[in-house]
Amino acid sequence: MRTVNRAATLLLAVALLGGGVLMAVAGLLAALGRPGPLPSGWSATLTTARWADAPVRGVAAAVTLLGLVVLGAELRRWRPTRLRLTDDDGWHLHRRSVERRLARAVRSVPSVRRARVRVRRRGDAWRPRVTATGDPAARADVEFALRRELDRLTAPRRGPIEVRLVPARRTP
Amino acid sequence: MSNAAHRLLWTVLALLLVGAGGTAWAVGAGRLPGAGVPLVGAGPVRWWRAGAPWSGLAVAVGGLLLALLGQRLLAAARRVPDRLGGTLAHRGDGAGRTRVASGVLTGALERDLLRAPGVRRARVVLTGPVTGPDVWVEVRLAPSAGIGAARAHVDAAVRRFAATVGCRPAHLDVTALVDETSG
Repeated sequence: MRTVNRAATLLLAVALLGGGVLMAVAGLLAALGRPGPLPSGWSATLTTARWADAPVRGVAAAVTLLGLVVLGAELRRWRPTRLRLTDDDGWHLHRRSVERRLARAVRSVPSVRRARVRVRRRGDAWRPRVTATGDPAARADVEFALRRELDRLTAPRRGPIEVRLVPARRTP
Repeated sequence: MSNAAHRLLWTVLALLLVGAGGTAWAVGAGRLPGAGVPLVGAGPVRWWRAGAPWSGLAVAVGGLLLALLGQRLLAAARRVPDRLGGTLAHRGDGAGRTRVASGVLTGALERDLLRAPGVRRARVVLTGPVTGPDVWVEVRLAPSAGIGAARAHVDAAVRRFAATVGCRPAHLDVTALVDETSG
C-alpha cells in the first residue's frame, strides 16, 4: 500500500501539472478570442446535462465508490514494516529483510527452486508462511532450514510454520 | 514525503471524493434539491461571457496555480526522507528553551556503531530533552553478523555515548535490517 500511495501521488501530481497547464493555455486563448485546445462540445455538454441524468448519476456513484474504496484501503490496519524482537528493549527487525533472508534459507534446500516467505505476527509469536516451488517431500528440510535461520535471527516465540510446496512443472 | 503524509493526503482526497460524489448522487436521485438543474448553471456562463477577456485570464491564472500545486506535489513526492535531523531541547531557568541540532552527537554514535563487525550502515536520530533524549537507531547488518552480538554492541555503544554526553536515554528504539547477500 505504501508503494501504491507513492505511485498514486506521483500520478496525481503529474495530472495536476498537465491539467493546470492545459487550463492556463485554454484560458489565455479564450482571452485572446482564439479557439482553445479542448474540444468545443464539452461546454455545451456541461450546460445541457442535468444532475438527474443517468450518466451523471452513474459517474457520481462511481466517484463515491472509488472514494469509499480508497478510504477503506487507507484506514485499515497496514502490515507493520518492523517485527518486534522482544517486549521491552526496543529492538526490531525490518520485516522485508527478514522475509528475504528466510526465503534465501528456504532456497538453499536442495530441490527447492523458488521461494517466497511472509512473516505474520500473532501476539509475540512469529508465524512464517512459505510458498515454494520444489519437491513436496522436502517439507521437513524446508522447516528445518527455516527454524535454523529463525534461531540465527533470535526470533522470539514461534508459531506454526506454514509450508506450501508446489511441484515444478515438467517441460515436455 | 513520508508514508504518513501520503496516507493523510489520500485519506483527505478519499473523504472529498465520497463527499462530492455522494452529494452529486443525492442531488441526481432527488434527495437534495436541484435534480433538474444543469451541471453548469446560467450564472457561471453569464459570468464567463460578461467578463471576457478577464474571465479567460482568471481561468488562466487558476490553471497556473493548479500547475504550480502539481509541481510542488511532484517535487515533494520525489523527495524521500532519507535523513532525519533530530533536535534536542534544553529548558532554561526562565522562559524559553535552547534547541540543539544533534548532528555532531549522532555522527559520533554512528561512527562507534560502525566499528562493530558486521555493521554495514548506521543511522541515529536523537530527539527530546538533552538530559533524557529518545535514541532512534537503524543498523544494516551483514548476513554473517549475529543479531545477539549486534545487540550487545549497540547497547554498549549507546551506554558509552550516554556516559560521554552526560545524559540518560529515555527511550531506545533500534531497527535492524538483515542483509540477504554478503556482497
